[in-house]
Amino acid sequence: MALVRVDGLSFTYPGGVPAVRDVSLELHAGEVVALLGPSGSGKSTLLRALAGLVPHFHGGRFAGKVEVGGLDTRSHGPAELAGIVSSVFQDPENQVVMTRVDNEVAFGLENMAVAPDQIWPQTAHALAEVGASHLASRRTVELSGGELQRVCLASALALRPQLLLLDEPTSQLDADGAEAFLAAVEQAHCAVVLSEQRVDRALAIADRVVMMEEGRIILDAPVAEARAWLSTFRPRYAGGLEPHDPSPPSRSSAPVIRLDAVHFAYGDGPEVVSGVSLSVSRGEIVALEGRNGSGKTTLAKIAAGLLEPDRGLATRNGRATYLSQDPGRYLVRETALDEVALGVGGDEVRAAAALEQFGLAFATCRHPRDLSSGERERLGVAAVSVSEPDLLVLDEPTRGIDPDRKAALAAWLLGEAERGRGILVATHDPLLPAHRRVRLGAAVEVPVAV
Amino acid sequence: MSAGPATALLAATAIAAFLIDGIAALAAMIAILLVLCLRAPVQRRWLYVSGALFSALGVIVISPLTWSSGGGTLLWEGPTLPVIGPLDLSTDEIQIALVNGLRLAVVALAFSAYTLLVDHDRLVSAAGFARRSALAVALATRLVPSLERDAAGFAESVRGRGVELHGVRGYAMLLSPLVAGSLERATGLAEAMEARGFGRSETTRAPRPAWTWVDHVAIVAALVLVAAAIWL
Repeated sequence: MALVRVDGLSFTYPGGVPAVRDVSLELHAGEVVALLGPSGSGKSTLLRALAGLVPHFHGGRFAGKVEVGGLDTRSHGPAELAGIVSSVFQDPENQVVMTRVDNEVAFGLENMAVAPDQIWPQTAHALAEVGASHLASRRTVELSGGELQRVCLASALALRPQLLLLDEPTSQLDADGAEAFLAAVEQAHCAVVLSEQRVDRALAIADRVVMMEEGRIILDAPVAEARAWLSTFRPRYAGGLEPHDPSPPSRSSAPVIRLDAVHFAYGDGPEVVSGVSLSVSRGEIVALEGRNGSGKTTLAKIAAGLLEPDRGLATRNGRATYLSQDPGRYLVRETALDEVALGVGGDEVRAAAALEQFGLAFATCRHPRDLSSGERERLGVAAVSVSEPDLLVLDEPTRGIDPDRKAALAAWLLGEAERGRGILVATHDPLLPAHRRVRLGAAVEVPVAV
Repeated sequence: MSAGPATALLAATAIAAFLIDGIAALAAMIAILLVLCLRAPVQRRWLYVSGALFSALGVIVISPLTWSSGGGTLLWEGPTLPVIGPLDLSTDEIQIALVNGLRLAVVALAFSAYTLLVDHDRLVSAAGFARRSALAVALATRLVPSLERDAAGFAESVRGRGVELHGVRGYAMLLSPLVAGSLERATGLAEAMEARGFGRSETTRAPRPAWTWVDHVAIVAALVLVAAAIWL
């Protein structure tokens, strides 16, 4: 008997367009399914329907039938399904309830009325399963993003679910954190549905692939068969692409930013950047690589002029703008037009042209928070590039975005470089094009919420 | 020390601060609370501690100039400003401003110690029948570091576009997105809690260590502190 049976599911969020259209599928115990598709294709909605959050938490129009472990989700809400289904969402910070790690894992067990004498042993076991036993007594605000997401996975596994739903759980993590997380998922002894933009890694642990576009399932096949289909019809999702770095810029010019032996420490903490030298010329893309905590973000901020080095010299020859990680979260104005116009002193003509360039003309008068995550990110890029800076500094711009959007971003970066802009990109992504790659030394884990 | 007695002791300290007039006693309370707060990690404590001390300093420096007690020895008489009125400084005003500033510092540092050091989870579990209310308070407290991070992120996002934030009006621009971001975060958290079975009718509690003699002493000390402040 199937663990999950979805029959003709269609769902529309209140005031929105249909997010999922006539989806039918079955999942069996122990199966690991990679759920692929571009941003906005309906993956998250399908996962929420499997957890009962759609329609019980979100409202909206629901048609069809979803049965999980024999329970119809129309008559059984998410709290009732919690013993059968566990979910891990994108942003670890938005899932954590308690202050200490062990209490966080125990929270779900208390809700499920597990016998008190079993709560701490099950908590310890779940933390051990994800390799996080050493974090048990730590405060959740002191953990890195990767550590915190592993704690969220432990919280989900502690409930001993039959079905584990993972909604782009690594989108906020660096490469190392994502690797550790997915390695822990491989050890889960239950059915798993993994929505993931790191396609290579997802395919490596999956038995089966389901791909969605525009709310419909367009592929449902075993991994080997799916790889062949993806190679033919969606090559960017097939993985195995080689980095394609452009040839060096034809003209050499004075650096737009030059860092000479710069040092930096936050407060009286340890040095994050120690004696790094770096330069970026006009028309050049420089990729700044290194492990989490190696100082990439700090160096990027120094290059953009947001931080000044404690020692060493930062020589800027032109104006710089800086795109932070997860830019869609940090939009500050009431309309998309105002958001972009902020960078050019309220010039709405230039702002409208930038929105047009990024395919956001339809959003001119809409509130940035009403846009999808992909649209928000494009709005963030438009907001920092509208003023045509001499140096564009981007911090992990490909984190959590789908392969199509990543390709579009790479093409845009090359175009900007050809127009003579200097570009510095802090990234873990080896596929992002760059004229030069600079690797910083490894360091320590960085707290996510401090 | 358990969370309940620690919170009771901090609350008693804050209450006592409102009842005590002695500058030396208030200064001693501040010293003790400062030592406590310094046990928290540097990156987390500086905002709380500096916020508490600078607010208190502001009260001590500004309030005697802008308010007239009518008593004591007049030390200085300045111009009359629109809205604020005449500026002057007397010994009484300095004394009262000092007491009020120190009281504010005690209350703010007690809250800082509660936020930085108390195990809010154990407070929730000790709450008994009021568990949901205690959980709401704990979540609100936990939101403070997230708000700090979001505020820094918004300011950085604006500065990253070459726009400098000037004065109160500049930073006020960030209030609306900060509130909107908090609401979005709260919705996400509510969804995650429901997915983890929060709201089911039957629940259990993980066993917690029993109170030690230190906890009992802390409760007695809290009661004695408030009683002594009332008595004196």
